[in-house]
Amino acid sequence: MQREKMMKKKMPYLLLGLAVLFPATAAAAPTGQALAFTCAGCHGTDGSSVGPSSPSIAGMDPEVFIDAMQGYKFDERNSTIMNRIAKGYNDEQIKSMAWFFAKQTLRLKPQKYDAEMAKLGAKLHDEYCEKCHEDGGKPGDAGTLAGQWMPYLHYTMEDFIDGRREYPRKMRRKVDAAIEAEGDRAMPALIHYYGSQH
Amino acid sequence: MPKTVSRLATWLIPFFLILVVHSVHGATEPGISILGEEPPEGFDPLTGERIISNERCLTCHGDEQMKTDVRDDGSEVKIFVHSKQIRESVHGELNCNSCHITIDRVPHRKAPAVIVGCLDCHRETWEEVKDDPDGKHERLKVVNESIDSYMQSIHAQPNSLDQSRTNATCYDCHEAHNVGELGSIQRAEKRLKNPEACGKCHEQQLEDYRTSVHGVAVLEQKDSESAVCSDCHTTHEIDSPETDKAKLAITKNCGDCHEEAQRTYFDSYHGQVHRLGYTNTAKCHDCHGSHKVKGEDDPTSEIHANNRLENCRVCHEDANENFLTFWPHGDADDRENYPGLWFFKLFMQTLIFSVMAFFWVHVLLWLYREVMDRLQGKGFIEDLDKPDIVYFRRFPVVWRWIHGLFAISTMTLILTGTTLLFAHTGWAKAVVVFLGGTEMEGIIHRTAAVIWLGIFFVHLMIAVTNIIREGKDFKWFGSTSMLPNWKDWSDLKGMFRWFIGKGERPQFSHWTYWQKFDYWAPFWGAGVIGISGIMLFAPEKTALILPGWMFNIATLVHAEEALLAAIFLNSVHFFNVHFRPERFPMSTTIFTGAIPFEEFRHDHREEYERLAATGEINNYLVRKPSRRADLAASFITTVLIMAGLALLTLVLIGLVTSPN
Repeated sequence: MQREKMMKKKMPYLLLGLAVLFPATAAAAPTGQALAFTCAGCHGTDGSSVGPSSPSIAGMDPEVFIDAMQGYKFDERNSTIMNRIAKGYNDEQIKSMAWFFAKQTLRLKPQKYDAEMAKLGAKLHDEYCEKCHEDGGKPGDAGTLAGQWMPYLHYTMEDFIDGRREYPRKMRRKVDAAIEAEGDRAMPALIHYYGSQH
Repeated sequence: MPKTVSRLATWLIPFFLILVVHSVHGATEPGISILGEEPPEGFDPLTGERIISNERCLTCHGDEQMKTDVRDDGSEVKIFVHSKQIRESVHGELNCNSCHITIDRVPHRKAPAVIVGCLDCHRETWEEVKDDPDGKHERLKVVNESIDSYMQSIHAQPNSLDQSRTNATCYDCHEAHNVGELGSIQRAEKRLKNPEACGKCHEQQLEDYRTSVHGVAVLEQKDSESAVCSDCHTTHEIDSPETDKAKLAITKNCGDCHEEAQRTYFDSYHGQVHRLGYTNTAKCHDCHGSHKVKGEDDPTSEIHANNRLENCRVCHEDANENFLTFWPHGDADDRENYPGLWFFKLFMQTLIFSVMAFFWVHVLLWLYREVMDRLQGKGFIEDLDKPDIVYFRRFPVVWRWIHGLFAISTMTLILTGTTLLFAHTGWAKAVVVFLGGTEMEGIIHRTAAVIWLGIFFVHLMIAVTNIIREGKDFKWFGSTSMLPNWKDWSDLKGMFRWFIGKGERPQFSHWTYWQKFDYWAPFWGAGVIGISGIMLFAPEKTALILPGWMFNIATLVHAEEALLAAIFLNSVHFFNVHFRPERFPMSTTIFTGAIPFEEFRHDHREEYERLAATGEINNYLVRKPSRRADLAASFITTVLIMAGLALLTLVLIGLVTSPN
């Protein structure tokens, strides 16, 4: 009886505690930031990759990020393991991660490049690529090229050219024009140019 | 008591804490957040949508080196937007994708659908700013009115070949990126481009327009003051030119520049019919040509001397050479160019003013005198102790019928005729609609005219027969003759003396001078109105013997004389017969044929004395009309008086509101 009375007395305080905490507990689903931590293994801390073939995704345009993730998730984009990983996230989680990475500062590591080729690449970029990949290919609404890992760029361009990845028709026109202008040197030159930026 | 308070506090404190914590939690989230992440820079913090700067769009669309792109199907598409133009336009401060709402990604991942909806944005914006006190959005009101007009127009109708689109939409005519403010250079440029804009769809019309005086001025001489398509066809309230609404609008719009031509056109029969809202008559473009309009000196012009008759024959199939001398824009106020017309107008108006001035003064003085006399107990006052039993027979049956039919046909003619004369009034338009249109009105007018003239000639035959029958006994200037005589002149002078209190009321014979005036006026009227009316009745036949300008004269005098008759009969005649205090409210003698004996003795004293002296008076004495005859006469008289007063009112409204 005494105990029951005690419980009755303490009940408001218990309720108070629950009520005060409730808003915090309701928001306790994994945040975009928490989800993004799992990407660090390949894409580096906060998306600045240290590896040569995993691209940096820090500062990445969120819609480009979402396009990529959705492309992997539905097997519409060529990948090694990203198509498996992407299937584990829902749209909300992908969008939250996209916003998280977009806000991260891209920390680039210097890469070895051929200065001659980079010079030619700069010329080609200005002529064929700059309109979409603004500011020398810095992170923007058409993706991140400047400072991106050169092997990744190389594989990606191969995917485009060899038909393993959907080739935007305007991009195809421009790439074809660049190759027509400079032959086989065009792609390496552009990759050296992007690799030269850091 | 303290226990209760503490228990209450125990429950209330947590309640308030919950409120505070929740509200603080809420207040820390002003924008959108997904799993703890807020949108990055370059995205709308409230919606998470990308903010696309105009500069980003203009990277490609503002590149003067690359004004076109190629579609997937290989076709070329213009993508260039003049960045300076758009900055200076009324929409210069908007984002590109405020209008191009389907654009959410740049560079476009897929060929974008160009979908722009002007209407909702203008409507919603107006709803938001219409109560702004500074009034700087007033122009948006006009835009919204234009939208309403457009929505009713033929351009907003589904295209008959492709019902998924309208015939034309905003940006088919408005250069979407170059909409200038009022008075801006863009506006003047836009006027010059208007024919080309319309010509994108209306190709043949543009080709015709190029050859016209308007087209040469606008397209070759870059004169933005000359007429472009929208000046005639309106900008937004566009209708098929086959509709009455469009035809009426086009004529009105011609007059916006050609004011004099329109004024004189509206004075013509063609213009009067048109002004009533009917288009089955010659309109500006019927004679001048529409898109190919040219000056009269141009041999290819429809109004060139060589082509004009053919033009008239479109409607007047039997028109002969005399039609060429008709003045379609004859101006009775232009003495220099139309002296004949000017003279006839001067003559008719002098006649109207002098007749009306004289008789209205006569009416007013008479009214004054009778009122003064009655105040003094003088004049003819009905003796209630001696009710009228004996009447004087004044009109035989035939004259009563003639007067009745004459009154009805005259009123019908006034009503149907003045609708044309006062075509600018609302009542005229309503009357014509009521009667069933101008063609039906023409039939009624002409039927009434035939009856009117028929009665006139029947009366003439009877009168002549009576004179012949009396032979040598007929006294041309006797008391029962309608011919004016010296006594009328002295009666007139006597009346004016009586009016001003300088003499006794004259003692009248069988017919008074004002009755003789009423009698002879229709002779003049029948001559003027009848002859001009017959000329206008059958223009092709008239033109066999008379020049075309006679139509101008006939139209003018027909109208002026009718106006005189309408005003005179319904004011002066009504007063003389019905409204003067001794007769008020009416005299039914013209329908009963009989006048109370005492009244006759008072009004026609001299005739009474003459008849009494010879004993002839007994031949004219009749019994009081039956109660039924009296009521019928009162009824007919009342109806005619009311109709007459209504007509007088309509005519006066027409005169007062006349634009000329």
